[in-house]
Amino acid sequence: MSTAAALPAPGTRVGLLGWLTTTNHKHIGILYMTTTLGFFAVAGIMALLIRADLTVPNHPIVARQTYAELFTLHGTGMIFLVIAPFGLGLANYILPLQIGAPDMAYPRLNALSYWLFLLGGLVLMSGLLTRDGAAAAGWVAYAPLSTTGSPGSGMDLWIVGVLMVSASSIMTAINLIATTVLYRAPGMIMWRIPVFCWDMVVTSLIILMAFPPLAATLAMLLIDRRLGGHAFDPSQGGSAIVYQHLFWFFGHPEVYVMVLPYFGMITEIIPVFSRKPVFGYTAFVLTTLAIAGLSMAVWAHHMFTTGAVVNPFFSAMSLLIAVPTGIKYVNWIGTMWRGAIVFPAAMLFAVGFLLNFLIGGVTGVMIASPPIDFWAEDTYFIVAHMHYVLGGGSLFALFAAVYYWFPKITGVMLRETWGRLQFWLMFVGFNATFWPMHLLGLWGMQRRVVTYPDLPGWHAMNLIASLGAAVLGVGVLVFLWNLWVSLRDRVAAGPDPWGGYTLEWATASPPPEFNFETLPPIHSERPVFDLRHPRRAP
Amino acid sequence: MPGGATLQAGDIHHVWNVFFLAAIGVAGTVYVLIFWCIVRYRKRGNELPPQFHSHKVVETACTVIALLIVAGLFALSYASEARIERTDPRPAATVRVTGFDWSWRFEYTGGGPTVTGTPDHPPVLVVPTGRPVHIAITSADVDHSFFVPAFLFKRDAIPGLVSTFDLVVTRPGVYRGECAEFCGLDHAAMNFTVSAVTPQAYEQWLRGRRTAGRPPGPAASDVGSP
Repeated sequence: MSTAAALPAPGTRVGLLGWLTTTNHKHIGILYMTTTLGFFAVAGIMALLIRADLTVPNHPIVARQTYAELFTLHGTGMIFLVIAPFGLGLANYILPLQIGAPDMAYPRLNALSYWLFLLGGLVLMSGLLTRDGAAAAGWVAYAPLSTTGSPGSGMDLWIVGVLMVSASSIMTAINLIATTVLYRAPGMIMWRIPVFCWDMVVTSLIILMAFPPLAATLAMLLIDRRLGGHAFDPSQGGSAIVYQHLFWFFGHPEVYVMVLPYFGMITEIIPVFSRKPVFGYTAFVLTTLAIAGLSMAVWAHHMFTTGAVVNPFFSAMSLLIAVPTGIKYVNWIGTMWRGAIVFPAAMLFAVGFLLNFLIGGVTGVMIASPPIDFWAEDTYFIVAHMHYVLGGGSLFALFAAVYYWFPKITGVMLRETWGRLQFWLMFVGFNATFWPMHLLGLWGMQRRVVTYPDLPGWHAMNLIASLGAAVLGVGVLVFLWNLWVSLRDRVAAGPDPWGGYTLEWATASPPPEFNFETLPPIHSERPVFDLRHPRRAP
Repeated sequence: MPGGATLQAGDIHHVWNVFFLAAIGVAGTVYVLIFWCIVRYRKRGNELPPQFHSHKVVETACTVIALLIVAGLFALSYASEARIERTDPRPAATVRVTGFDWSWRFEYTGGGPTVTGTPDHPPVLVVPTGRPVHIAITSADVDHSFFVPAFLFKRDAIPGLVSTFDLVVTRPGVYRGECAEFCGLDHAAMNFTVSAVTPQAYEQWLRGRRTAGRPPGPAASDVGSP
């Protein structure tokens, strides 16, 4: 592979104007991912403030309004501006490379997606600068709390910001599907595209099904607030329960938008570091499709305690969706089985994902039972559950992906020693933060409270959680330090530092402007492995 | 974990126990397999490991086992939920519960008293033990949720919607209640108390409240002695 045609290292010669006007998928991918890490810092600091506030019973350190703004923006930020868009950003960079394409199908639409995302994120957060403060109705923004209960303009900015981000996601979803369908290299049939690409295609399909209803719901919310509408106002013939239905019709598929890309990343990383092909490629794709289908029929498990939905149906669907999700563990364990596993930081984070996500998975099965949900709903048990899914799961996979693809994107390696330290700090910190919350929830500590009474065990568990959050925070600082050190004293990565399988490792790091000068023959889902082991190629 | 102070909580706790054991069984098995892999299949030499792609029997068997587990769990959960949500046609008391920013109002039907709380003076819901108490819950403004941790149960209070359920408190006592659905600034202070007393004491309290005919006073004086 020629390295002479490589892109200049990011930021060195592209120039500000270059970044502002770029339509190159790799630049847009870098912008996307860097922006999500920026929002991650903001939403993470908010989380630390929340934990600081809850360290001691009966002694809140922030005002009630501030606290409500913090958990609203922490949730909205992590969901809409970090976990979901990082997957889209990484796909922007990696998906065209993995299918042997020169760029995304619609480069200018791609640029529009990114700028709309950035602008939406800033608008959403800008409520902090208004006189009445930011949105404070939780990330679910239940009406009528988000209509008559939130008169300030921060709520309007939140709605408009989320609308912009959801429009951006819809455009990116269209782009990813079109790219995968139309731009695959010769020989790259659908049954040979990497699992990450499959997961991004299915994620995009979910986005196309779930985000338009969200956009409609937010528009109705805005009409209720500012144009005299009554869609969600029971005193005028509207319905508060319909808001919940509409919101969760988006909200639960959104969970899969936040996990499927990370399943995909893990499923790229585990085979490479186990020196084995992915176990059960076909099953993996089929279960991903099954999850997408079922994800549209589970939304009302968020509403078991309303007494207004047919609980058994949604309970059955929610239990059923655990099956294709659980089968993925068969894929991951089968991939490691009899392998020759090495543990660089990327693989440590991938194993961390397996260990943490499993807890989020089994608690998910528990709360799919309405009787258990009557107990656990809206308590810290739910907070623990969904942080094990999105934090211990997706966020650990996110860092696995960063360690794995950083060399491809920048051409330099991240430091392994700092990476391992970061993993252990985050793994210990994460579990110390969120494990005690299971108990707090079962003891009856409800969500979104600015403070809590000094009941037996409550202080101890909250204290452990807050200390854990501090350790988690130090882990993130180690990551930032690692970025700084690695980009300052650059250790060249070469085209394929890991012995990768997929096409992005068949080109320079970072890849030239149109990605490939020549492509290897494609006879399986691991063309680069086949190139390295010609006797084993199919 | 506490066993729960109502008849319904017994069912809930039983479902919890079974799901918990299933979770321990499944997660335990998966953890053993993961740790086995990361210990046993660590890279030891430069030889390429066997490159198998799938194992249809293992994949199918795991799918079938998983389906059987969730089917069993669903059957248990379904049957229990039906019992939990069953309402008695002749309850010993019917209380209309209204959540509002940021406290609760308890109206005993049939000429009974009305108890209204404030964040600083949480209201007390006095109920007889061993008898079904019928609750009809709604909200006067935004969504709330009536949650008594000791009952392992909550039900949302949603404006424009009346939702009903029964409680049979089996153990006399004073139980802490809270709002579980975020409802604005004083969400954390939207508490109440359930005081479960013997049917005799309950009748006595009811008579006292009827004859007194006083307006709802400070909630602290509303506590029926258990």
